[in-house]
Amino acid sequence: MNHVLTIQTRNQAVVLERLLQVTRYRGFQLAGLEMKPLAEHAGLLIILSVVTDKPIHLLTNQLNKLVDVEQLELASETLTALRA
Amino acid sequence: MNGADLVMKVLEQHGVDSIFGYPGGAIMPIYDAIYHSPIKHYLCRHEQGGAFSAIGYARSSGKVGVCLATSGPGATNLITSLADAMLDSVPMVAITGQVPQAVMGTDAFQEIDVLGLSLSVTKHSVLVEDIQQLEATLHEAFRIAQSGRPGPVLVDIPKNIQVAEVSAALHEVQRHTTNDLETVEPHTLTQARQLIAAAKQPIAYIGGGVHMADAIAELQQFLTASSMPSVTTLKAMGSVAKDDPYYLGMLGMHGTQAANLAVQQCDLLICLGARFDDRVTGKLDTFAAGAKVIHIDIDPAEINKLRQPDCAMLGDMKQILPAISTATACQPWLEHCQQLKQQHGWRYDHPGERIYAPLLLKQLSERMPDNSVVCCDVGQHQMWVAQHMRFDHPRNHLSSGGLGTMGFGLPAAIGAKLARPHDTVLAVSGDGSFMMNVQELGTIKRFRLPVKIVIIDNQRLGMVKQWQQLFFNERYSETDLSDNPDFVALAAAFAIPGHRISRKDEVADALEAMFTWQGPYLLHVCIDEKDNVWPLVPPGAANEQMITEHSS
Repeated sequence: MNHVLTIQTRNQAVVLERLLQVTRYRGFQLAGLEMKPLAEHAGLLIILSVVTDKPIHLLTNQLNKLVDVEQLELASETLTALRA
Repeated sequence: MNGADLVMKVLEQHGVDSIFGYPGGAIMPIYDAIYHSPIKHYLCRHEQGGAFSAIGYARSSGKVGVCLATSGPGATNLITSLADAMLDSVPMVAITGQVPQAVMGTDAFQEIDVLGLSLSVTKHSVLVEDIQQLEATLHEAFRIAQSGRPGPVLVDIPKNIQVAEVSAALHEVQRHTTNDLETVEPHTLTQARQLIAAAKQPIAYIGGGVHMADAIAELQQFLTASSMPSVTTLKAMGSVAKDDPYYLGMLGMHGTQAANLAVQQCDLLICLGARFDDRVTGKLDTFAAGAKVIHIDIDPAEINKLRQPDCAMLGDMKQILPAISTATACQPWLEHCQQLKQQHGWRYDHPGERIYAPLLLKQLSERMPDNSVVCCDVGQHQMWVAQHMRFDHPRNHLSSGGLGTMGFGLPAAIGAKLARPHDTVLAVSGDGSFMMNVQELGTIKRFRLPVKIVIIDNQRLGMVKQWQQLFFNERYSETDLSDNPDFVALAAAFAIPGHRISRKDEVADALEAMFTWQGPYLLHVCIDEKDNVWPLVPPGAANEQMITEHSS
């Protein structure tokens, strides 16, 4: 499965490292990454794409625990659908 | 005032009375503020020891533990203790000095990126980049450390921020409440009650989350109202009343046979603040395989992480337990579990003169004053303590559970003694573990802390040796410690009296001498290196496949 996580975070320099560390450690393969600051230093918008056979809640539950994560939305597609 | 003064003032606001640390260049302004602070600083002899003392202080008292270290090696020395606090969900605030911001990123003397190092071993960590953020950051650190599932928080403060001037007017502390926890839906509570009422063979699997939610009384009321057998994890020992006839002991790799067999046979497993750890479950897909599962936790990431529950409740254990109490109808099961308990009870009829550690620890447990705190290290002695000692409360049994850190016991006992000066505190250690933070004898000496130290000495790294014997064809690679120092002489070098025993008939008098001595004391107990911990669930096996001394 390919999953796209749209994450809004606090404006903290270390937040990207936190997200990547959790993603790697929990065994999810990173397939894409975008980041941009929100207006008026309100935070960061980070879009993580991951590929995995594991249930995605094993990652989203851990990411949601991060103090710097304010909002997380998930969109999922099967790889075959994506390739088609 | 400056940033360093502010740090100490905020600690005061949070009711901190004791802190543990070691000074160095980048944290000197804070140590200057400590010089005239009413908060008592306890100088450890290694930052890992100081942080373990903060953990011992926190775990024995329920308060937040606070430790300090300088930049670079001071900060890196904290990492193991932070990981220990993370895996055992201990509320701790660690404050590190950092080199001045002007030289950060230049590989300055004693500069290390402790924020980067902290990511996987803390619940949260912050580098303070502006003096105006310092106060709010410290308040938030205390809030995060205690809220939800507790854990360690690291605050890294550059030296220039410690000396920067800041307003002396502090904000009031916002007290943490449990009101912001999720409320369980009524239909979920109803479902849980129905599952409990319908179960023929229910069992409560109790973890450390119960006492961390301050829900011991609610647990015991639940077990009375919803009569069922119970088992505990290592961290939850002491949660169930000592006289509960249906308490079966610790489950898992070195759990009791009764606990493991009953869990494997149950039809309803009620998991209370536990996390299906691999040392508990054995082969996961065989663990209580025929049971429905109710899982109650405060951490959403633990729900459905390793076992899909039939009924999950996220929230405050203190409120949930009374709400799911309901009468059970399982008398034959209760009687069966009592039979298991009788059938597989511990035996202490060990032949010969040599000291048998399980019997010694049973004697120690019976002799120690009520409400004593026992701080373990890691290895065979740790499992023997869990099997053969009895505790009134989980705060009286401090053991490094998740990380399994050798060297935990002695410094944890220092912290526990400072948190609870009127209670007896014991450090029960193995000869391997004791040497891992032996320098903290210096802290005991300095503060004349009457900690009682019991070293169970088999001149081996016993647990590793046991696995080498059982699973590595007796290839005893690097587990021989027969060149240990003279532990009594070592203690004497720190003005701590001690005594060495090796025979059963010496035990009673030796325990009496240790407990009646007013100050710190070291009892060196020599045991046979052939003694192993039984029963044992082999790696990869199901819990009912445990092997015993006579089946091995």
